[in-house]
Amino acid sequence: MGAVMDSSAAERYRRTLARGALVFRWVTLAWMSVLALTETGTLERPVLAWLAIGTSAAWTLWLSLSDSPPSSAVLGFDLLVCTSLVLLSGLVVSDGVTITNRPFFAAAYPVNAVLLWAIVKGPTAGIAAGAVVGLAFAFSRPLNGIAFAELTRPEWQNIGGATVLYLVGGGAVGLVARVLVESGVALEKTTNELLTERERAGRLAERESLAREIHDSVLQALALVHKRGRELATSQSISSDEVASLADIAGKQEGELRSLILRQPHDAASGRLSLRDALEKQAREVEGVKVTVSSVGPVVLDAQATTEMAAAVRQALENVVRHADATQASVFAEYEAGVVTVAVRDDGRGFDYDEAELEAGGKVGMLKSMKGRIVELGGVMEVDSAQGRGTEIEFRVPIDERDGA
Amino acid sequence: MTEEKVKVVVVDDHPVWRDGVKADLERSGLVEVVGEASDGGEAVEKTLELMPDIVLMDLQMPNLSGAEATRLIVDEAPHVKVLVLSASAEEADVLEAVKSGASGYLLKSSTSTEVRDAIARAMTGDAVFTPSLAGLVLGEFRRIARDDPGEPGLTPRENEVLKLVAKGYSYKEIGEKLFISTKTVQNHVQNILTKLQLKRRYELMRYAIQKGFDRLPE
Repeated sequence: MGAVMDSSAAERYRRTLARGALVFRWVTLAWMSVLALTETGTLERPVLAWLAIGTSAAWTLWLSLSDSPPSSAVLGFDLLVCTSLVLLSGLVVSDGVTITNRPFFAAAYPVNAVLLWAIVKGPTAGIAAGAVVGLAFAFSRPLNGIAFAELTRPEWQNIGGATVLYLVGGGAVGLVARVLVESGVALEKTTNELLTERERAGRLAERESLAREIHDSVLQALALVHKRGRELATSQSISSDEVASLADIAGKQEGELRSLILRQPHDAASGRLSLRDALEKQAREVEGVKVTVSSVGPVVLDAQATTEMAAAVRQALENVVRHADATQASVFAEYEAGVVTVAVRDDGRGFDYDEAELEAGGKVGMLKSMKGRIVELGGVMEVDSAQGRGTEIEFRVPIDERDGA
Repeated sequence: MTEEKVKVVVVDDHPVWRDGVKADLERSGLVEVVGEASDGGEAVEKTLELMPDIVLMDLQMPNLSGAEATRLIVDEAPHVKVLVLSASAEEADVLEAVKSGASGYLLKSSTSTEVRDAIARAMTGDAVFTPSLAGLVLGEFRRIARDDPGEPGLTPRENEVLKLVAKGYSYKEIGEKLFISTKTVQNHVQNILTKLQLKRRYELMRYAIQKGFDRLPE
């Protein structure tokens, strides 16, 4: 998998380099045409010369438009075009021109084959292509009517020098291209690895914090249910209370797990808490009555108000468990028009609420403490209850408009 | 007295869960599970073929989701009531199910008595509205009122009724509190749900027209 990815990345870099080399190809094509125009006097076979230029132009155009990476066939044909140009030079110019100091007809265009080979196939291929073009350069002399035997030492040195330049060009460009491609691929790989690593670290941290929370609560409870369940299975008589308490434990953990993984985070700013989350936590912790929480939105408030209201609700629920003889209790919370309303309702036996009478009977401890918390926040507490009709305790606390959510 | 059994199709991608629900329901003797389906597409097929009274629908399933299946069923067979029975309490899921036309929403942790009660209530045409669902729906209408102040929202009376449902009052208690009949309370709740479902349909239509999907291929 990695190797495949690397080779395709390298391919991409080589194609970019090859496309860059096209600029040089067009410049050399133009230069060849300029020479053909200005040196018309020395052209022995102008038709052949322009045919050669036309062919080179068509080939350059095809290479420029082609989307596919240069294949071996393309490379081979390119080398054929370039060596032909060098050899043709000997034929199209007047005899003996190749050994004068006049600019050579094929000029720099053939170098393109050496460049392309070096870029696509590496330094060794670049050197090989350079050797072929150099050899063609030598053979352009006899084609120009000058036998090898007639060539003087400086003329041989000239051929040798040009060949050396082709070889060095092929090798050097091949090396540079290889280094560029390899470092590009390495950079890409490192970047990818870094990104993957960072992602992995993030996931790991998230997983760890989740695992910690699950371990702290859910796993402990599961272990307990497992153990007690097994004990119950082997015991002779099973009390329904015990089964119910097992179900309670499982139910509470279900709620815990649900809030842990299912609830979308609502991104409370620091120093602020969701009243809904706080109430749900209280509801889970209360034992002895089934509590449902119904909230209109997360109701995000400053941490102190949230904590105080949740504590008051907790006291109300404890009251329900202790006195109401209820099977169900529900907690409602909403924020509307600058007021947070929290209501705790039970389906218990209810009582006739008369603060003065209760005070006289010394039964106001819990209620007073609850009311104290709410009054401290600038709110009010209302009790609505009657014998046999359950009880509803409602807190209403004004909260600055911009604080409520 | 031989009472006609309630015909139910159970939809869930977990066969073990389906078996458990089926056994629970049939033990009561009042319910007959006439079919089962393991994804949304199958649920629609089975429902249209068997025409049960109630479909017990899971939400998270492969291929077609429970909410989409609910929408299709409510469209094609409006007399079939869909009760969602899902492990998820995530707001978006719950709301989507109710907006799709579900007659009620129960968590999988509900006891079999609660499920049977819900079926009985749905059979009388009553929406199975838990306090927490009422809170969610109330929140959704608040959101609509905030984002789209021009949109018609809840009437003050509907708002009052919904808030009392959210506080945990039964329809009967709400009727006593507001000096109206239980039937009127039920009507208010039904109207609230219908508004939410119409709103959803309108949203879908508006979205389709915006995207230029109003002319669908035949």
